[in-house]
Amino acid sequence: MKRFFPLHKLRLLVQIIALGTVLWLFLQTEYRGRDELAYPVGLLFRLDPLAALAAAFAPGAFGWALLWPALLLVALTVVLGRFFCGWLCPLGTTLDGCGRLVGRGRAIAGPGWRRIKYYLLAMLAAAAFCGVQLLGLFDPLAIFLRSLTLAFYPAVNVVGNDIFETFYQHPLPVLSPSLDAAYPFVRDHLLAYRPPVYTLALFTCAVFIGIVLLEKIERRFWCKNLCPLGALLGVCSRRALLQRTPSGLCSDCRVCATACRGGAVAEAGQHPEDCLVCGDCEAYCPQQRADFSFGHPPERTRIDLTRRGLLTSLACGALLGPVARVAPARDKLNPGLLRPPGAVAEGEFLRRCVRCGECLKVCIGGALHPALLEAGAVGLWTPLLVPRLGYCEYNCTLCGQVCPTGAIVRLPLEKKRKTVIGIAVFDKNRCLPYARGEECLVCEEHCPTGEKAIVFDQREVLFGSEPKRLKLPRVVKERCIGCGICETRCPLDGRSAILVINEGESRKPRDLWS
Amino acid sequence: MDRRDFLRETLRAALAAVVWGAVPILTLRSGPSWAAAPVPELAVRTGKEIPALVRATLEALGGMGRFVKSGETVVVKPNIGWDRTVELAANTHPLVVRTVIELCLEAGAKRVTVFDRPCNDPRRCYVQSGIQAAVESLGSNRAVIEQIDRRAFVELDIQRGVELTRWSFYKPALDADRLINLPIAKHHSVSTVTAGMKNLMGVIGGNRGVLHRNLAEALVDINSVICSDLTIVDATRVLIANGPQGGRLEDVKILDTLVASPDIVAADAFAATLLGHQPEQIASIVAGARRGLGVMDLGRVKRV
Repeated sequence: MKRFFPLHKLRLLVQIIALGTVLWLFLQTEYRGRDELAYPVGLLFRLDPLAALAAAFAPGAFGWALLWPALLLVALTVVLGRFFCGWLCPLGTTLDGCGRLVGRGRAIAGPGWRRIKYYLLAMLAAAAFCGVQLLGLFDPLAIFLRSLTLAFYPAVNVVGNDIFETFYQHPLPVLSPSLDAAYPFVRDHLLAYRPPVYTLALFTCAVFIGIVLLEKIERRFWCKNLCPLGALLGVCSRRALLQRTPSGLCSDCRVCATACRGGAVAEAGQHPEDCLVCGDCEAYCPQQRADFSFGHPPERTRIDLTRRGLLTSLACGALLGPVARVAPARDKLNPGLLRPPGAVAEGEFLRRCVRCGECLKVCIGGALHPALLEAGAVGLWTPLLVPRLGYCEYNCTLCGQVCPTGAIVRLPLEKKRKTVIGIAVFDKNRCLPYARGEECLVCEEHCPTGEKAIVFDQREVLFGSEPKRLKLPRVVKERCIGCGICETRCPLDGRSAILVINEGESRKPRDLWS
Repeated sequence: MDRRDFLRETLRAALAAVVWGAVPILTLRSGPSWAAAPVPELAVRTGKEIPALVRATLEALGGMGRFVKSGETVVVKPNIGWDRTVELAANTHPLVVRTVIELCLEAGAKRVTVFDRPCNDPRRCYVQSGIQAAVESLGSNRAVIEQIDRRAFVELDIQRGVELTRWSFYKPALDADRLINLPIAKHHSVSTVTAGMKNLMGVIGGNRGVLHRNLAEALVDINSVICSDLTIVDATRVLIANGPQGGRLEDVKILDTLVASPDIVAADAFAATLLGHQPEQIASIVAGARRGLGVMDLGRVKRV
């Protein structure tokens, strides 16, 4: 059927706009002169049913105010099918865009492969229910934004800053003046204020590249076979009102069997749960028979799952939960395990955090970094506060503003200033006044609590045979909130002489006996 | 031209451009003009109305025209070091900054630039201090407040350096025709009092904490490279404890005073007395006087 504006072209337009919006919101995930962010930068994850699933299975109340868009998306999927995957998903759009670049494979993976995503979803959901939430590791939106935050955007900054800096310091005619003229705009709107650096950039990038390279096997390999979000939306879209006709392959033409982006039209009939509503078939159908329209009662086909497979994956998930919780408390093993202010208690935090990387992106002091094993095996990519690399800005509440699942609670400024992230302790073997009899007090200078948490005693100290009058710093426990500016600013090379440890965190549940 | 030729020609042109760009262009710096006048002038005024106070203080020194000539470029360097609001007295008062810029513009300055390298997040400091809004409220395209450009630091030898022999400096501060140093006087645990000399730590690069090991001499080293043409110490309100960043109104004392002098040591010395210290007790002031940066003895200063 001919449309005035073909569906697949409309889809392409929407895909580009959606990707552009995601990238624009990403760029706005930064302090822009106001304490409150001007845009709902975490929108992508508030739309994410997997994030909602994680929040639903976490202890504590479900954040309706944050996550209602996810339920809206599910409702729309029930009506329109898996349009999100075909039209909106930034990872899907990237795969569509990169497929030609890496060379798209022509293989059609067998039906066994298709089941993986359902089994994965079942396993992750069961695990989340039983206490270990790993949905974020496989969430395509989290994968996309994490890769952008941790690897690609920092790389853009490295290259961009290098170019501007090189031509600033080695002026060339024409080129340097024009680059210098462009610099303020690029710096203010495209590059990060502070060149971002992250601990897991290469690893995160490798995962993303791996997913893109799967295109070499089959078009949208990830979406068809692995994506748990695709599986969830697929399940919801089984009785969608918007359906393609004809349902299944036509007897005189088999183009759909190879050309369908989602592999939804197969020998055995149509799989509505695999149809991405991309509208390509309307364009490529040689007979112009393919058409999307409302109201066709979809024929009931079964999602091709084996009962044994489904039960096995549920059982695996159910087992994973308790077994992973056998691990000893990480904060005891790793005193440097610090979380952003407003983070809920560690157990709940791990179950809420979807590893989306929004807080890592927005952190004004560059303090938040993704964990590899620091928070235990199930804490991969969760945000850690690493005070040697950056500190928590005293008057900033941005990480709580962007968290889509309530893993980091949005705190009012007054409360945030009193929220204890940890406590600073001196390493007197290295601290200059103690270890070498030299003046320093940089930590005291920077301590942001109104009445300083780092104070000093002035004492006559015998250094060797030489008496010296020194200002010896110490920490006042009641005032220290563990923001870490002392550790960041400690002028020693390498390890700081003042370290923030997780003693006395506000979020730690206190029982009567401890 | 085929593709191979095109690539070859492009590379050749790029190589030529790089070679040309690599030819070092020597810029000769004028040495610092150490306080030339044997008897420096010092103006101290008090008043509640800040713009009038600034104007009265500068009038006493003979007007801004003595320091800024028509067509000159000026850097005004306030203290924007901390993410603190005006009343907490951690940063220079925005009205002082604004009025000084106005005076520079009235004196015919071609361009007035304001910047600092803060300790907290620079964007937050610029906003929270009120200084960004104050400069922008002038609405003049000759007066701009800028974030520090990370490309513009240069490493320089410090010829008369005692503690530092080489450090990185912010080039726009060195290149301007005039540098007006606009510190706020406040308490500081290492240097006891911080004012003009320490304020110029905001135009150097590197790991500034290292300077604390011998702050007094390091400050004189810095000031021997970056020379203030005029120092105006904001003592309209001062921090008397928990400096230099403060955060409590209890630590703020209202003095309604402004101190101005072309001699940075004299200005700092007088500012020290406002906080209840003698200049001889402040190591950086003593070091500055000893090494000829200025005059510490307030008896040898001409009060105007």
